[in-house]
Amino acid sequence: MMDAGRHSRVSLMTLSEVEEITGYVGNFHVKVRRKARYVDSGKCTACGECVNVCPVLRPDEYQSGLSTRKAIHIPFAQAVPSSYILNMDDCLGNNPIACGKCAEVCEKDCIDFNDQDRIEEFDVGAVVVAIGMDVFDAREVPEYGYGRYQNVIDSMEFERLICAGGPTGGHFVRPSDRSRPVRIGFVQCVGSRSRVHGAEYCSNICCMNTVKDTLLLGEHYPDTESKVFYTDIRAFGKGFEEMYNRSREEGVKYIRGLPGEIEEDPATGNLLVHVENTLTGELEEHEFDLVVLSVGVRPPKDRDRIQKLLTLSKTPSGFLMESHPKLMPVDAPTRGVYIAGCVEAPKDVKESVCQAGTAAARAGNLLSAGEVTIEAYTCRIDAEICNNCGQCAKVCPYHAISFVKGAKTPPTVVEAACAGCGTCGSECRFGAITMRHFTDQQIEAQIDAMLAVDPMDQIFTFACNWCSYAGGDMAGISRLQHPASGRLIRTMCSGRVDESWVLRAFRKGAPMVLLSGCHFADCHYIDANRQTVKRVLRLWDKLEKLGIRPERLQLEWISAAEGQKFAKVFQVLEEHRLRVTKEEIEQTVKVLEEEHLKKLAREAKQAAKRAEKTAEATA
Amino acid sequence: MSVATKFKCLRCGHEFDGHYDPKAPLVEWTCPLPECKSNSIRPMKEKKRE
Repeated sequence: MMDAGRHSRVSLMTLSEVEEITGYVGNFHVKVRRKARYVDSGKCTACGECVNVCPVLRPDEYQSGLSTRKAIHIPFAQAVPSSYILNMDDCLGNNPIACGKCAEVCEKDCIDFNDQDRIEEFDVGAVVVAIGMDVFDAREVPEYGYGRYQNVIDSMEFERLICAGGPTGGHFVRPSDRSRPVRIGFVQCVGSRSRVHGAEYCSNICCMNTVKDTLLLGEHYPDTESKVFYTDIRAFGKGFEEMYNRSREEGVKYIRGLPGEIEEDPATGNLLVHVENTLTGELEEHEFDLVVLSVGVRPPKDRDRIQKLLTLSKTPSGFLMESHPKLMPVDAPTRGVYIAGCVEAPKDVKESVCQAGTAAARAGNLLSAGEVTIEAYTCRIDAEICNNCGQCAKVCPYHAISFVKGAKTPPTVVEAACAGCGTCGSECRFGAITMRHFTDQQIEAQIDAMLAVDPMDQIFTFACNWCSYAGGDMAGISRLQHPASGRLIRTMCSGRVDESWVLRAFRKGAPMVLLSGCHFADCHYIDANRQTVKRVLRLWDKLEKLGIRPERLQLEWISAAEGQKFAKVFQVLEEHRLRVTKEEIEQTVKVLEEEHLKKLAREAKQAAKRAEKTAEATA
Repeated sequence: MSVATKFKCLRCGHEFDGHYDPKAPLVEWTCPLPECKSNSIRPMKEKKRE
């Protein structure tokens, strides 16, 4: 941080909040709120005179509330810039000035009670999101007594207590009576790997953090008796297993099983831990002077705001999702945006540093190239046909279509931001959007050609490029048996599949239609496949209204690795296909032909109206 | 606001109860039957239930 603060080409904006990001790769426009500091950091020499006279005491957030700070303070010793900050929420007041003692003693005259928030705007070419993480609040597990028993602390508080720069100067004491604890219990997986409390995922860092803590305690106080209650110790990194073995060799007891309950002895403040040792199958009781809860990692609170600002997607566990877990692990789905650190997934310092370096290098590559190569399959809006409804802009997951409501000008596509999912194309009711290389005419020609011969023998399938089509490939290369009746049309995203294509396939005699795409968490176009679901729900209603069994249209999410699911889906759908009779198909074709003719008549009328309007305008 | 809704699997025909809010972000629906696990899940409207 200090290096970044000193670097001539790095502008460090502390105490600032990103309010708005607009634009696209290479051309982002950022609006940042620089919050009022009330202290001129250019003049402040951090002499500390102001702190000495400040009468307000508040719990120190950096020290996990284990010590206090003044209203005017430095957040932590290594903070950059090294200058004081006046927290106006804690100060006795500046309008009118209620105390003002800090300003009176400041020789450099750097305290300004009239300081205001400022908005700064600037352009950047790439954005790296590294907003970190939060930790699990152990109060959510009431049986462990965190928040009720003073001597139950979490791993963050442990770090402060053992740290030389902490509230006790590194002297490890327990909070209730400030005596040195000798018997210390560590409880793992608090808020991790649980379906009841917290989250199901592993927080990745807690096991080794505890191993490190036990070694640290042993080093500082050799008579400490540490016991660790764990589900399993995940020591997978370089040197981790050796470190774990060293901890065991130094006498730390590892007991497999998580405590069911922790009780406090009110007289002594000691804690009684009830646990089932899953290796021996016996119920055990252990008494400790202090218990440390190893709390898990949570996605940061600000994640949703950043996700919205940059049109990012998140995993089911709430962390930001990368473009590809192996090939593009630091690229966000939005071009020109990169992710680093725990906002992507829980990870330790080494991994975070590694990922941050990669993200910076990726951003550097992008900027040094000076130009961006975009895919050929972007969308194009025909201004003459467009009705300015704005639906395309509404459904675009990348906000690549700019549309001003009521402006009477057609939306415009920012091609550098368009990823080519095609959702806009299938949502446009007026046919004003052309998806290059996946045009309506091209797909319709494929439908017609495939269903020209023996349509009754086919399970007509629309598969997305990234997952379902690749899942079919996986089924093939895995030599999995599935019926030969499947006929696939590939689109970039299932969101590209137009309602009219499904109806066209039924009109051409298809007994079954399958629409297949990525699982929700895997969607390669952020959340474009949610539009697929909405469309399929509409189609089921429509089919039912027309007297066609909705069951004949199926929806499946198949990932690239799910070759087995692909084969199974086709095996089951083959049974469905065989149950569709010739009479049923003929009836479907008849109904849909009538509907089609009505639609053509409507379109002809609209075209005539448009031509009339154009002629009037020309005249 | 999510309301209690009956869902129907359009592959195996299994009907089950759940919650659905058309205005909330969609979630991936899956048939709860282990032998089916289809994603062709349709929230049934009130009139269709009768």
